[in-house]
Amino acid sequence: MTEPPDPATGTGPEPVPPPAAAPPARRGWLRSLGRAVPYLPAAAPAAIVVAVAITLLLASGFHNFGWDFFGLKFNSDQGVWGVGVLIVGSFLTAVPALVLSMLLGLGIAIASTTYLPRALARVLDPTVDLLAGIPSVVYGIWAFVAVAPWFGRVLNPWLASHLAFVPGFAANSISPSSEGVGLPIAIFVLTLMALPITTLLIRDALRSVPRDLWESGLALGATRWEVVRRVALRHGRRGVWSAAFLGFGRAIGETVAVAMVIGAVDKLPSNAYDSTWTMAAFMFQELDAAFGSSRYLELLAELGLVLLAITFAVNLIGRRLVAHLYAEEVAGL
Amino acid sequence: MSAALDGGPVLQVRGLTVRAERRTLLDRIDLDFPARSLTAVIGASGCGKTTFVRTLNRMVELTPGLTVSGSIRYHGQDIYDRGVDPVLVRRRIGMVFQRPTVFPMSVFENAAFGLRVAHEPEAEIDRSVTDALARAGLWDEVKDELDRPALALSGGQQQRLCIARALAVHPSVLLLDEPTSALDPIATQRVETTMRHLKEELVLILVTHNVGQAARVSDRVAFLSAGRLIEQGPTAEMLERPRDPLTQQFVSGRFA
Ligand SMILES: Nc1ncnc2c1ncn2[C@@H]1O[C@H](COP(=O)(O)OP(=O)(O)OP(=O)(O)O)[C@@H](O)[C@H]1O
Ligand SMILES: [Mg+2]
Repeated sequence: MTEPPDPATGTGPEPVPPPAAAPPARRGWLRSLGRAVPYLPAAAPAAIVVAVAITLLLASGFHNFGWDFFGLKFNSDQGVWGVGVLIVGSFLTAVPALVLSMLLGLGIAIASTTYLPRALARVLDPTVDLLAGIPSVVYGIWAFVAVAPWFGRVLNPWLASHLAFVPGFAANSISPSSEGVGLPIAIFVLTLMALPITTLLIRDALRSVPRDLWESGLALGATRWEVVRRVALRHGRRGVWSAAFLGFGRAIGETVAVAMVIGAVDKLPSNAYDSTWTMAAFMFQELDAAFGSSRYLELLAELGLVLLAITFAVNLIGRRLVAHLYAEEVAGL
Repeated sequence: MSAALDGGPVLQVRGLTVRAERRTLLDRIDLDFPARSLTAVIGASGCGKTTFVRTLNRMVELTPGLTVSGSIRYHGQDIYDRGVDPVLVRRRIGMVFQRPTVFPMSVFENAAFGLRVAHEPEAEIDRSVTDALARAGLWDEVKDELDRPALALSGGQQQRLCIARALAVHPSVLLLDEPTSALDPIATQRVETTMRHLKEELVLILVTHNVGQAARVSDRVAFLSAGRLIEQGPTAEMLERPRDPLTQQFVSGRFA
């Protein structure tokens, strides 16, 4: 059954469809592929993620390591590779860095959106971008040569004397030979590196609070601080959570700068000032060593897969949470 | 002869002038607001109505670049005096905005907001919230959903919640800047009923571009044009026998 071209649509005659009895036409298949072309770019990011995951999986020879892979025993000379050490190291650096950069980011964002005179804010706000533009390796070398010695001489002993009651923080655990390299300086560097993203996102969240809403709070006799705390941060809480999840991604994935100050030893830290290693830094620093051994290379690939999975999972959880908050606000669940 | 029994107006505006960098937004306004009255401030768009009510609780200070001179006395005390805290001024002189501005929290917490920031005791908060919701004419509609997010309410309910929120801190003056302009006719009617009840207990100052609304709810009308107070007086007189040709034109144009 062929229909006459519809004059109302003005699109001209459609190609005549093949008779129902005919086998599925190849041209029809091609045509639907052709129609899909404009959608393809949108699928590219997903395709890239899948491709990375699959090829990494193939390169990893995952069957070789089994569950010991996630263990905490690590000795490359004996061929015992439990990357649990590295996973712990990554979290031990990324989580505190995230907490610190969120606190700092909140402070900076609140100051600039709420208290700073507009003219001054306009000058100071773009400086966060400058911070984001510094290459990691510059952070790394700066931290190593200029900051780590001070950590070793001043900050770590200070922490030890003030936080002695916290397990792992007592003074006797500071190794005099560490030169300040270890967890605290790695956390410090990561805090700085996550700071631009947390600050920017929190600032945008606060900026998106309608003026009327601000003024309504003030008109009820609230101080600016109370309006920020009770209204603006609530209104912008999706942005604040996004900041946390993206900041975490930044912190756990950072490589070079951490590699330069973490101490790079394949063991769990025995105290808060100790050296350890992270997944990202390990992959980077052990690449040379892996060239002689395909098994070692497989280990690095599998480690890459683990880091991918962790960032992916964090991202997913973040999205679900943010979507949930949105639904809660709108539908009133 | 309409002066308040307790002697003098609640709010007394004298020589109020507001300047921006290059222009004068309000020019030497003199106006009194007696107790238990509703004054409608009318005038064409851009004549300075919003600027005027924002001077009455010092909200105008949040806009950089404006300078205020003249005096605004609240029970005889100039609210712009150096020792006066704007936060306290705003607890006495509340404000409702053009669009409903409910906070992203529950109906109850919205109504309780001003009491919480004033650190009122919990029992007092419960009592004041219930009372304020009732006075805003919203209690019957929301009494079973006090814990629901306020954003789930209809626009008209949200606006009455904003009124309730302002009432909860027991202000003696309430500024309403075109509170019904974002609402449909039925929601508008409800808000107008609320306003008629409220003027029995406090001073209401209503900005409206709608002369019909002024006729329905107000006792007094003040007509502004290009930043000047052209004429003011009892509503019937102002709307039926305005003396100034500008007022005549505005009032008849809006009625037609
Ligand atoms: N910060 C400012 N700087 C300069 N001019 C301003 C500023 N704020 C407002 N104006 C001007 O002052 C005039 C009065 O503004 P206002 O908002 O008070 O008018 P309005 O009577 O409330 O108008 P509408 O009925 O449209 O709400 C307008 O012409 C406006 O452009
Ligand atoms: Mg206005």
